[in-house]
Amino acid sequence: MLQYTLKRILLAIPVVFFISVIVFYIIQLPPGDYVSNYAAEMSVAGEGFTQEDMAAMRADLGLDRPVYEQYFIWVQDIVLHGDFGFSFNYNKPVLAVIEQYMGLTLTVSLVTMAFQYLVAIPIGIYCAVKQYSIGDYFFSGLSFLGMATPHFLMAVILMFLSYTWFGDPLLGLFSAEYVNAPWSMDKAIDLAKHMVIPVIVIGLSGTADLIRVMRGQMLDELNKPNVVTARAKGLSERKILFKYPTRAALNPIVSTFGWSLTSIFTGSTITAIVLNLPIQGPVMFNALLGQDMYLAGTWLLFMALLTVLGTLISDILLAWLDPKIRTEFRGT
Amino acid sequence: MLRIQRKLLVVLLVIFSIIAAGCTNNNNSPAPSNEAGKPSNENKSADKEEDKGGGGTGTAAAKEAPMLAKLAADGTLPPLAERLPVQADVMVEPVVDEIGRYGGDWTMAWTGPGDKWSVGQPTEEALFRFNKDGSGVEPNVAKSYEVNEDSTEFTIHLREGMKWSDGKPFTADDVLFYWEHMLTKETFGKAIYDAYYSVDPVTGDKALATVTKVDDYTFKVVHKYPSVQFLERVAIDNKWFFAPAHFHETILPELVGEDKALEIAKQWGFEDTNAFLKETGYYYWLYPQIPTLRPWVAKNDPNGDQFIMERNPYYWKTDPEGNQLPYMDRIVATKIQDPSQRVLGTLAGDFNLSTFGAQDFTVLKENEKKGDYRVITWQQPAWMTSGIQLNQTIDDPNLRKLFQDIRFREALSLGVNRTEITEIVTNGIADPIQASVQEGLVGYQEGWADQWSGFDPDRANALLDEIGLTKRDKNNFRLFPDGSDVTLTIMDSSEESANYTELLKKYYEDMGIKTNVKLVDQATLQELKYSNQVPVSIENISVVNVAYRPDALVPLRVLTPWYGLYGLYVSSGGKEGIKPEGDVAKILEYWDQIKAAGTTEEINRLGDEIVKLHMKNQWVIGYAGPTPTLIAASNKMGNIPEDLIWADEFRSLGAAHPAQFYLKP
Repeated sequence: MLQYTLKRILLAIPVVFFISVIVFYIIQLPPGDYVSNYAAEMSVAGEGFTQEDMAAMRADLGLDRPVYEQYFIWVQDIVLHGDFGFSFNYNKPVLAVIEQYMGLTLTVSLVTMAFQYLVAIPIGIYCAVKQYSIGDYFFSGLSFLGMATPHFLMAVILMFLSYTWFGDPLLGLFSAEYVNAPWSMDKAIDLAKHMVIPVIVIGLSGTADLIRVMRGQMLDELNKPNVVTARAKGLSERKILFKYPTRAALNPIVSTFGWSLTSIFTGSTITAIVLNLPIQGPVMFNALLGQDMYLAGTWLLFMALLTVLGTLISDILLAWLDPKIRTEFRGT
Repeated sequence: MLRIQRKLLVVLLVIFSIIAAGCTNNNNSPAPSNEAGKPSNENKSADKEEDKGGGGTGTAAAKEAPMLAKLAADGTLPPLAERLPVQADVMVEPVVDEIGRYGGDWTMAWTGPGDKWSVGQPTEEALFRFNKDGSGVEPNVAKSYEVNEDSTEFTIHLREGMKWSDGKPFTADDVLFYWEHMLTKETFGKAIYDAYYSVDPVTGDKALATVTKVDDYTFKVVHKYPSVQFLERVAIDNKWFFAPAHFHETILPELVGEDKALEIAKQWGFEDTNAFLKETGYYYWLYPQIPTLRPWVAKNDPNGDQFIMERNPYYWKTDPEGNQLPYMDRIVATKIQDPSQRVLGTLAGDFNLSTFGAQDFTVLKENEKKGDYRVITWQQPAWMTSGIQLNQTIDDPNLRKLFQDIRFREALSLGVNRTEITEIVTNGIADPIQASVQEGLVGYQEGWADQWSGFDPDRANALLDEIGLTKRDKNNFRLFPDGSDVTLTIMDSSEESANYTELLKKYYEDMGIKTNVKLVDQATLQELKYSNQVPVSIENISVVNVAYRPDALVPLRVLTPWYGLYGLYVSSGGKEGIKPEGDVAKILEYWDQIKAAGTTEEINRLGDEIVKLHMKNQWVIGYAGPTPTLIAASNKMGNIPEDLIWADEFRSLGAAHPAQFYLKP
């Protein structure tokens, strides 16, 4: 298994390198660059930019060099100094920008994920065990709705409800007075209050998805011979349920767990914009729009890296969870 | 396009219902009132008269904000008298309606540091600022000035005892330092402004002014040739003709050495010195470390979710009763990611003073009462809301000839139903008139608004036939005499204009002119302009006075769509671009005369001539008159003037002197 892991990691290196080339190429594709974008934005605000100003700015930022040279410098700095470049928009190193948003992003994502699993798995089990009951129809219907509703619309609806009931649309993650306040109990409560809508909205479609997967898997497992045998031997229903079918049904969920790694780190984008959440998604979106290329590039690269890593983690987790897969490893 | 519109409609409907429903509940909304409650309590206890006896800080306490009085009493701050300039030099800012009271926050939305001007303009303190109607300038940071008879020597007096926001004295040295080490060295990414050059009326020779210190509070700007509008030009080009020398001394490469400067830049988190100098030298108001003369100074990192500016304890203006300004304690700018959040926040009472375009008029007006705010309209000096600019130098020779044909422009003007456009695009707010200078502004021409403004498709078609676009293709679109397509491509970078451009397409195609609408992003549009690839643009023209800011009307650079490469010809000194001819060349002649003119009357006369040429040629065609800028101000906020002009030249909201805005309890 160790050998397998090592092999996978080694293989990932050329993949990541290849991805970095593609990422850089894609970022360069749209016409214009950060400077023309910035100049356009500033001229809307009434500040004139001449061609010389723009040329000087390009030279300062190194944007006048050929693309391959820019790519080379970027990669060189990453490999040699761990320096991912500079965000033009923020006037800060890329890593500092990412760090600034990481805390809240992780908070929102992890809470959302916990919400998804805590809600979806029990409901999935319930729906399978009580198949075709009123409860099953109710939750299945709900999960179809959840899958089909666009996030941002859901966000708008929940904001509306919150506004009518509590007089506050709960935009952002903090009330105005807490944004810059040091951490305190009140601030944490305020955060928790503001998290309700994003967690529900972002978690909803994932939850709906998980319910369907869990239900389907459970239905497959419920009639397997090992379950029947266990029942014949007189084990309590509850013990049977959790020891055998549930454990087996978790397989596909665990194997996709690694893929959600990227979404944990980026958070959602459109919903975050609608709800004005200070998390990575919108930052990334604006970096792409404004052609803040090193920030955008680092993000794309990071996401690619996480996908590679996530797949690896999933495989290892699966091997750990499922004895059958584990034996296969040992066999080779 | 249509699908997107429908989607937007749905979203809008939902938002409207949120708003409608939300506002009925506004009275028991807890969050905003709680927030406002805290500071206003403090205000009550520190009410001017009462505090005189109770505070124990003497008369000075009655004239400053409670939060500063406390600091002064602690000894953290020097007493007020030492913070203000000497009595005679304190600037007394007239209040709009009444003497205000201290405290409270100006809460607003911004989109982050890229939105720097929306906090920059209202807090700006210029050496000379424009007076109310924009006809001239008045001293602001400067106390007074003298000018000699032929307008070559300007002696400018500063305010004795005036201080930077960190308490260091502000003197003529700060002006000289800025001039010698920053402006003329071009350290902050801007070339030396045109205002500092004077032009010889005969030879056209351009000479840079000299700036000398007379004493600590006086300096002199000397031009080689007369520069009648020097002060106005400075008020436009270079609002702050000064910088805190004691701060910039510590970072400028020239003074600390290249290596050290780079090291400091890195400490601040910057990658290279140039970006660092530009941010600190030009966009300085975003950085808490840099002292300013503004009423509020930055308190935290602008990249956060909330940017806070707090009152400047050394602010040098008082109201007529001698209370130090500003009245409001802080500016709190909350970062938003979508413009609709600004509307939502205003309706919910989260933002107490925000500005909007006319497109939000209906939703704002509908909820005025429920949201407890009022909508103030300021006139804009724009020529129109919706119109087109035809690139006179477009690459395609056929199109260029067509665009330069005045009959074609008349046809495009007559072939569009302005009444319908104003109803659909501007909710009927704008008048169905031609692009023209509004009454009351420099360059107003009687009758211009009605030129070619009727809806007359027959005449339009007749004109097009007369030009020679008589051939038609199988779809009945007109062809050039040589058989090639006549296609107008309208380029824009905002999807908000979609309903307007779709309408235009319909009208133009009714006349047999094939029309494409191309939506590109901002940066691409900019690039396309430089490469002369934008045939038709729907950009607006907004200009207060051509002599102040000429580039919309006079081809001096590239970005204004109608003159295309003529501008490049001028800005490159004839090396690139296309040589202006005919009336465009005449405009440039007038402009050269303006630069060398000896009197204001002459400048205004020449400016009028330039505008008249625009009227004659109508390179810019308008279909809907200008709409006002909307200011949604909480009913609690007082002293906001209602009759100003919203123009970048006058620093937008800054023209209202926000330091004297105040919040009623």
